[in-house]
Amino acid sequence: MTDVSSTPGEPDAAAGTGIDTTVPHSARIWNYWLGGKDNYAVDREAGDQFSAIYPGIVDIARADRAFLGRVVRFLAGEAGVRQFLDVGTGLPTADNTHQVAQSVAPESQIVYVDNDPLVLTHARALLTSSPEGSTHYVDANMADPAKVLLEAGKWLDLTQPVGLTFMGVLGHVTNHDEARAIVTGLLDGLASGSYLAINDSVNTSEALEEALRVYEASGAVPYRTRSVEQFAGYFDGLELVEPGVVLVADWRPDPSADRGPEIPQMGGVGRKP
Amino acid sequence: MSTDQRDDGRAGDVQGPTVPRMLVGIQLHRFREVAGITPDQAAYEIRASRSKISRMENGLVRFKERDVTDLLTLYGVTDEKTRSGLVTLTRQANTPGWWSKYGDIMADWFEAYLGLETAASVIRTFELQFVHGLFQTEDYARAVTMLGHTSAPAQEIDRRVSLRLKRQDLLNGPTPPQVWSVLDEGALRRPVGGPAVMRAQLERLVEMSKLRHVTIQVVPFSRGGHAAAGGSFTVLRFSEPEVPDVVYIEQLTSALYLDKREDVDHYLEVMNHLSTEALTPTQSAKFITEIIRDT
Repeated sequence: MTDVSSTPGEPDAAAGTGIDTTVPHSARIWNYWLGGKDNYAVDREAGDQFSAIYPGIVDIARADRAFLGRVVRFLAGEAGVRQFLDVGTGLPTADNTHQVAQSVAPESQIVYVDNDPLVLTHARALLTSSPEGSTHYVDANMADPAKVLLEAGKWLDLTQPVGLTFMGVLGHVTNHDEARAIVTGLLDGLASGSYLAINDSVNTSEALEEALRVYEASGAVPYRTRSVEQFAGYFDGLELVEPGVVLVADWRPDPSADRGPEIPQMGGVGRKP
Repeated sequence: MSTDQRDDGRAGDVQGPTVPRMLVGIQLHRFREVAGITPDQAAYEIRASRSKISRMENGLVRFKERDVTDLLTLYGVTDEKTRSGLVTLTRQANTPGWWSKYGDIMADWFEAYLGLETAASVIRTFELQFVHGLFQTEDYARAVTMLGHTSAPAQEIDRRVSLRLKRQDLLNGPTPPQVWSVLDEGALRRPVGGPAVMRAQLERLVEMSKLRHVTIQVVPFSRGGHAAAGGSFTVLRFSEPEVPDVVYIEQLTSALYLDKREDVDHYLEVMNHLSTEALTPTQSAKFITEIIRDT
């Protein structure tokens, strides 16, 4: 028998695949809204049901990716960050974090964190690094910051600045205090000069709230919006990068791009002093 | 949809006639449905069979420009821009691919596959018996070819092998597809061509797995009862958002091409289970290296 010793962050050989195709799956629905092909009928139905109540969700999905692109370009460019911790990877789409970072600085090192088996399988196969840099994948729940830091520390030098990103994922944590604790717990383990970047939905649209209620009732993992104040609170104690905590469309917009429709999606970037 | 919605980051270059064919087919299908015309009525208009209409709409045949314009007229598509756009695409669809000069040794059903493979942005394969054609060494390819064509003259075997190697140019081009191959351990253990040939083949696999656009995963025997009840299959994905994934299943004397969403969903689901059940790419490279060491 050939021996396969375990590598950090690799799944347990004895475990099942853990892919459930009978209930809608957030990463696959997100992929559907982005026009991807990695989704099943159950996801498309849930996605259509959602967008029937709140059509802006497709704009939110696109704005989220566009924000990620602008933020990572800023971090790898102006801010000179060379290490990234991307929490809540999602299924590969266009312009994933390592592609954007390595297009600016090919030597950038990226650790993707997710605990979804389908996402991890795709990430390991498709989110592959430039020869100069590296990409690694950590199988961990963000609710366990100590484990995330321990695993990420195997690939990143945590005494040097890291760009920590949560792109449309903190709403998966239903309790806001817990979400705050995750952000704080991870930031505490990062060096001074590290950056925190978040975008997420806020609770200013009744239609979005209604769509999220129906979505949750379908058996999918719930997603919660935050108040504007709660969202801004994630950046407490950090030096906010201009223009601060704003609607994602207003965060250093690409002058050549359309501003897009109004959506209750906020974003911000802060530097750890 | 804008190009930044592509899910693979590939440039929008069109390689070979296959994707234009599919795009012409998809549009003909859509126009026919909107016009409420049956395949039989459409077939009658261009003096063809109902199955020809179906093959046209699936992008599996060459188009006569005249047939396309006649069908558009039948479907009430009068807008000049739409018509001329589709005619341009039809001309692209009729440009022969590099593989056309191998027509003498190649069945039509395989020619169609080469077109898809050349145009794909992501190729996902599950292999039970053999190492995938894109990764085969010349000796291994020769051994596999001889298994399938026992009575063929040497010259024909040479041409078949040369076609297989020529296919591999795809991986060295400027915008290679992402090839994601899941192999059953059996494909690694069966000594096709003898131990020496097999060993070199395994070494090639390890080398290939280092390429950024190649992913190799092994399903070891110890993970029995895996999700592919049937056998080997391939899922081809294209950059164009409107072109669906195509499932390719090779049989002895023909092949199956599936692109209906419910079929594709099913195979994609099986492929996802297999890839998740398999060893990770890192573990797989180690696993193959250890088989080499043990032989």
